[in-house]
Amino acid sequence: MIPFPAHCGFSFPGHPSSGDRSLRPAPVRTSAPPARPVRKPSGRARTTLILLALALLASACGGSPAGTSRGPNHADRLRIAVAQGAGPLNIFAGAPEPLAELVYDKLVAPSPYVAKPQPWLATAVRQVDPSTWEVDLRQWVRWHDGQPFTARDVVFTFQYMKLAPTGRWTHHVTTIPTISSVTATGPDTVRFTCGFACPELGTVTLADLPIIPEHVWSAVPAQQAKTVTALPVGTGPYRLVSYNPSAGYRFEANPAYFAGRPRVRELVMPIIEDPSATFTALVSGEIDIAARPLPPELIEQFRSSSQVSVVKTAPLQFPELRMNFERVPFDQPAFRRAISRALDRDQLLQTVFLGQGRPAVKGYPHPDAPFANPSLSTPYAPQEARQLLDQAGFLDRDGDGIREGPDGPLRFQLFVTASLPIDVRAGQLVAEDLRKIGISVQVTGTDAATVANLFTTREFDLAISTITAHGVADPDQFVMSHLSGYLWRAGLPYPEFDALFSKWKAATTNAGRAAVLQDMQVLLNRQPTSIPLYYPDEYWAYRSAGYDGWVESPGYGIVHKWSLLPADVARAADAVVLRR
Amino acid sequence: MLPLRRVARRVGQYALVLWVAATINFALPYLAPGDPVGYLYAGPTQDLTPAQVAQIRAGYGLDRPILEQYAGFWTGLLHGDLGMSVARNRPVVDLLGQRLPWTLLLVGLGVLGGAVIGLGLGALAAWWRGRRREPILVAGVLAVDSMPGFWIGMILISIFAVQLGWFPSFGATEITAEGVGALGEVLRRLVLPALTVALAVLGSIFLLARGSMLTVLGEPFIRLARAKGLPERRVALHHVLRPALLPVLTNVTVVAGALFSNAVVIETVFAYPGLGRLIYEAVLARDYPLLQGAFLLVTVVVVGLNLLADLAYPLLDPRVRHEVPVAAGAPTGEVPR
Repeated sequence: MIPFPAHCGFSFPGHPSSGDRSLRPAPVRTSAPPARPVRKPSGRARTTLILLALALLASACGGSPAGTSRGPNHADRLRIAVAQGAGPLNIFAGAPEPLAELVYDKLVAPSPYVAKPQPWLATAVRQVDPSTWEVDLRQWVRWHDGQPFTARDVVFTFQYMKLAPTGRWTHHVTTIPTISSVTATGPDTVRFTCGFACPELGTVTLADLPIIPEHVWSAVPAQQAKTVTALPVGTGPYRLVSYNPSAGYRFEANPAYFAGRPRVRELVMPIIEDPSATFTALVSGEIDIAARPLPPELIEQFRSSSQVSVVKTAPLQFPELRMNFERVPFDQPAFRRAISRALDRDQLLQTVFLGQGRPAVKGYPHPDAPFANPSLSTPYAPQEARQLLDQAGFLDRDGDGIREGPDGPLRFQLFVTASLPIDVRAGQLVAEDLRKIGISVQVTGTDAATVANLFTTREFDLAISTITAHGVADPDQFVMSHLSGYLWRAGLPYPEFDALFSKWKAATTNAGRAAVLQDMQVLLNRQPTSIPLYYPDEYWAYRSAGYDGWVESPGYGIVHKWSLLPADVARAADAVVLRR
Repeated sequence: MLPLRRVARRVGQYALVLWVAATINFALPYLAPGDPVGYLYAGPTQDLTPAQVAQIRAGYGLDRPILEQYAGFWTGLLHGDLGMSVARNRPVVDLLGQRLPWTLLLVGLGVLGGAVIGLGLGALAAWWRGRRREPILVAGVLAVDSMPGFWIGMILISIFAVQLGWFPSFGATEITAEGVGALGEVLRRLVLPALTVALAVLGSIFLLARGSMLTVLGEPFIRLARAKGLPERRVALHHVLRPALLPVLTNVTVVAGALFSNAVVIETVFAYPGLGRLIYEAVLARDYPLLQGAFLLVTVVVVGLNLLADLAYPLLDPRVRHEVPVAAGAPTGEVPR
């Protein structure tokens, strides 16, 4: 049984089946700017001044609209500014995935965020029975240190992930799915056995976990995996040859990469944490691209530059309003639904994000996630919200405009990260919307660490944060989030979900699982614990004169290995978004 | 009192200050509300089992008697062990060691440059007292002084990095540069941020130097020097400048000490990997071991700078060196501040 309907394994450049190079995927340049409201999110004076100065710099360097001529598809060296230093890319210590995946490969590519991921370090992936999979591995692949890649590395990786406290992959081998054993059935063949049916293992789990070398990591006790500071050894298209916390990263292309020689020989990645400093460096030509999207305020200025190109992507992430479902009255489904109906998502998008994106009227997860239920709808319906509150007994008995419940007036605190003006503004709009249905909300700004801590300690009513691709586009994580305390917590009564979860576990095919997942989404959006505020677009700026091979990969933006590999290889792996 | 004894006394006083600062640093997790485990773990402890909390407590030595912990704290300190950063999984000493040289370089060169320029312009303004040029100079310097540091940095970047392309706009070094080229790259990348620091501190040094020079110019010994027929240049450099330097020196050490931990805005504008930025990041991440280490380092540097200023006074002013009491009841050997 082959879960990949197109083909298991494919040819690489130089092979006859490599495809038509003239169809090289490319991001579409944005056309004339859409009309947008004049209101802008409030921010601190310093940030505003810096952005203003940067806008002047950008416009000073421009002058004529960006042309349509394309830059080179190969480069000797690219300078890519990264937003933060993440140490020497230890994947157990939170290395950013786009950078880590320059070094490491997965059995299946590119990620769980696409509908049909393709074999990568594997050549074929077969589902033997509902809970057993066999994987044929690519031969003649070598690690960056010259050691051969074998089935032992795959077995070791999955066993190590079970033991190492990564917080990122552990539950994808121990819980969803529950991988009970991984064995090498030959030098290039591995068998996976799950504790219960795991039809998604081939398209989700194997597309999620990077493979690490046994000969390097076996010397590191799993509990100490986070402390490793040596440069990583992978099979990927780039080798990290130096890392300096003050100067950044330097990668060299792996000339023997099995999927073909990367199109850029060397990547230099200085660390520039401040957005304004990053885009100033782009304007001055000191970097070729910023590995962070443009702030909304700068998009117009950069679009008018003759030297900087701007492309739009649809990231698999969104800002969300989280409700503490373990606290009264957020533990009542009708109350949570009333809040969802009271939010004017279109106004949030237009006012907070200047209209750059889509209103979040399709609920949770992200509508571009491969498992998203297309029929979901979360409309703005304040009248329905009022009726729901009335029926639940939340009435304004004293006529002060604020409803009362059994525990007193509905007055809550909404935590936002104070250093993110967009979140602060979103919080203010949420408070305004809820005030219209008789709920008083006080917006409280605090630091990001406190907001994160409040989620864990459950000492909050409402909070705004951003959830990224792993949370909103990975079907296994969607189920896991109902157990981990994010969307729900295992052990808390939730009979409707429990019934669906049992049904999900009993399903033995991807189609069966997908059907149950759609029901889970309907249930979640009917009584949400997380409400998407808007689905933002992202705009990326780069100097096309240096390199113009940037392509969008779902969930990764445009700075990732698929932009640096031969175009037909990236397209064959279903790793890029084709926009026309 | 012999100068050596005076030096020893000063060093002793500052060592006492350091001991108090280090002890407060040690006590911080205990003085804060709640369990110190919560502070040092940098994560929510509610979900931890009692066994895990006990393990963390033992890992940080919190299960030992307080005096034993205090002794261990000093033993670690004297061996250069400031603990592990909980957010970065790395020894605090390593992290501080990576950032300290850049901040020393940036603040040191910037403040030195600002001091030299401010002193020179202050002396010139005092010398031009009453002439038409003086108010123009004062207004010019005050105009620069009124600009916030980040704004000065943005203007310098706009002119010298974006428009002219003479200097880089970010970073302290270049990962691809090697040998002499790497040193040149460090210097090239230092120019704009150091100039920003210099311009940011220029105003206060200028005003102090100008006021101090005007005071000294009114002293009888200056009239005597001029009456002896000494050239104006000699009067200015040998008779006016040296005594006028004392308050300026104090100001420079205070400014340098403050900038040492507060240069975060300038470091941010230039993406300079300094200590201020590290402290800011540690605050955001609630990385208390790193914060404790950084605060201790800042204390040591500020106290060290003050000690240096104290020890430099006798070299600049013979009256301090010979310790002649200026008035009955004045404490012997006290340095005028």
